[in-house]
Amino acid sequence: MNAFIPIFSPKNFIKNEVKLFLIFLLFLLTIQINSQTKTIQVCTTCDVKTIKKAITLANDRDTIFVKKGIYKETKIYINKGIHLIGEDFPVIDAENKTDSVFAIKADNFSISGFKIKNVGMSYTKEIAGIFVSHSNNFVIKNNRMENVFYGFILQRTKYGLLSNNKIIGEFKTEATSGNGFHLWKCENMRIEKNIVSGMRDGIYLEFVTNSHISNNTSANNIRYGLHFMFSHKNEYHHNEFKKNGAGVAVMFSKFIKMHHNTFHYNWGTASYGLLLKEINDAEIVDNIFEQNTIGINIDGCNRINYKNNHFIRNGWALKFTGGCYTNIFEYNNFMHNAFDLSYNSRLNDNKFEANYWSEYNGYDIDKNGIGDIAHRPVKLFSYVVNKTPETLVLLRSLFVDIINFSEKVSPVFTPNNLKDNKPLMKPINPL
Amino acid sequence: MKRKLPLFFFTLLFTIISCKVEPKKINYGKDHCLNCDMTVVDKSHVAQYVTKKGKAFMFDAVECLIKTLLKENNEDQMAFILVADYGNPDNLVDAKTASFLISKKIKSPMGANLSAFSSIETAKKAQSMHGGKLYTWSELKIKLSEQ
Repeated sequence: MNAFIPIFSPKNFIKNEVKLFLIFLLFLLTIQINSQTKTIQVCTTCDVKTIKKAITLANDRDTIFVKKGIYKETKIYINKGIHLIGEDFPVIDAENKTDSVFAIKADNFSISGFKIKNVGMSYTKEIAGIFVSHSNNFVIKNNRMENVFYGFILQRTKYGLLSNNKIIGEFKTEATSGNGFHLWKCENMRIEKNIVSGMRDGIYLEFVTNSHISNNTSANNIRYGLHFMFSHKNEYHHNEFKKNGAGVAVMFSKFIKMHHNTFHYNWGTASYGLLLKEINDAEIVDNIFEQNTIGINIDGCNRINYKNNHFIRNGWALKFTGGCYTNIFEYNNFMHNAFDLSYNSRLNDNKFEANYWSEYNGYDIDKNGIGDIAHRPVKLFSYVVNKTPETLVLLRSLFVDIINFSEKVSPVFTPNNLKDNKPLMKPINPL
Repeated sequence: MKRKLPLFFFTLLFTIISCKVEPKKINYGKDHCLNCDMTVVDKSHVAQYVTKKGKAFMFDAVECLIKTLLKENNEDQMAFILVADYGNPDNLVDAKTASFLISKKIKSPMGANLSAFSSIETAKKAQSMHGGKLYTWSELKIKLSEQ
């Protein structure tokens, strides 16, 4: 019995701890020796004059600093986990060659601080400023691109961060420009604080899941500011989409969260703030739709919650064009739109409750903030316009007011149950 | 007779202009796909059909065209069914004589990885480069109707 006691005595315990600590130190030291990394400088007067050369010299975890200057290189292959840092935005000029500038297939790499320009276009090849495939855990930030065919193409990548990049396209024709960010079959990506303009689609996602798109500005793109195809369980928030050819399109996707985005100034005959096509189980919360031809074009979407959105001065705030079921619209502001709602069928399975409608002209005698009579947001004239768009010139005529009023009193064409039973007297969270 | 001749020509001209059933030029970036409503931009994958009455509809991808034809079952009412010749942009060819390639290496706008070629030789060349399987128009319709 006595023999066991010393082992657990405090003195021995401390000895053990010291031993453990020493072993730990030794362990750290071996790591230190193993992780001896080097840095390589690239500049026009250095030993290493090209980025390609620097990459052949580098090993995993090495850092390459590229000094200011003009580097005329394309097809820079990276297959190592290196860190490539540009100082004062060195320019990589592709001289309109039809090859990607960076082609990367590596894990744990980073690229930052480059300016890439003049990447040539092709009808059959996908050519980008930075082309990444089959890569995990990487960071691409603070890069600038000008006059590139595609900005970034990412294929089959996971856990990547793309932030603070700026892509300025040259506003060429629709068919000859590529997308700013083109993601295909990616997972767990983060696209943050980027600026894209003058490209075909600002951000394009196809078969991308579990990704976050936030704080980006996508403006003046020829087609869509943001385009989702078959991409489930993603979230995009705090983005600004402005003056894009056709707004933002979210298509054939499930479980998408869209919140705190601004969609504005998307004007044109076939333009909208947001196009939803076959979207199920989504959340659309706290967004601002201002001055779009159509705020949201809703086609075949089910089980979507619309809450706390602002629809301000749009042609149509909401336009339903396909069968849409069990959507809930509550606590939204509909202010000064030519049409708050356009509907294509006589059936209604969507719930409109407790929204603010600037067109509501009922009263609130009991002063509880809720209008005492229900509001019917669908105007008969919107049906007429749907059938013959040219009639739009009559919008402000007396005749149109009369038919709208008569329909409001006794609904014949509009769904009878499409009404807001608790219209609010004051807007929600005014801007 | 001499007085009537200009009138005759005028009427003839008018009938020719108004009744011509022909493919329409695609307005890239403005035209919308009939099936999926996307803006048509991809010159290598566009498609178009023109009804016998002369009305033209655009598609952003060949798969959209076929899906619409299968859904509406209206192939016999078409005067033209045209698909883009891959790699030869702005050149639309008759779908019935074209060859089609489904290859994972060539992505098409609506996810079917489908491209059309004007001749079997160019299609075979693309197949040897990118892999995949070749289809004729009728085989392709069967393949897409199965999905």
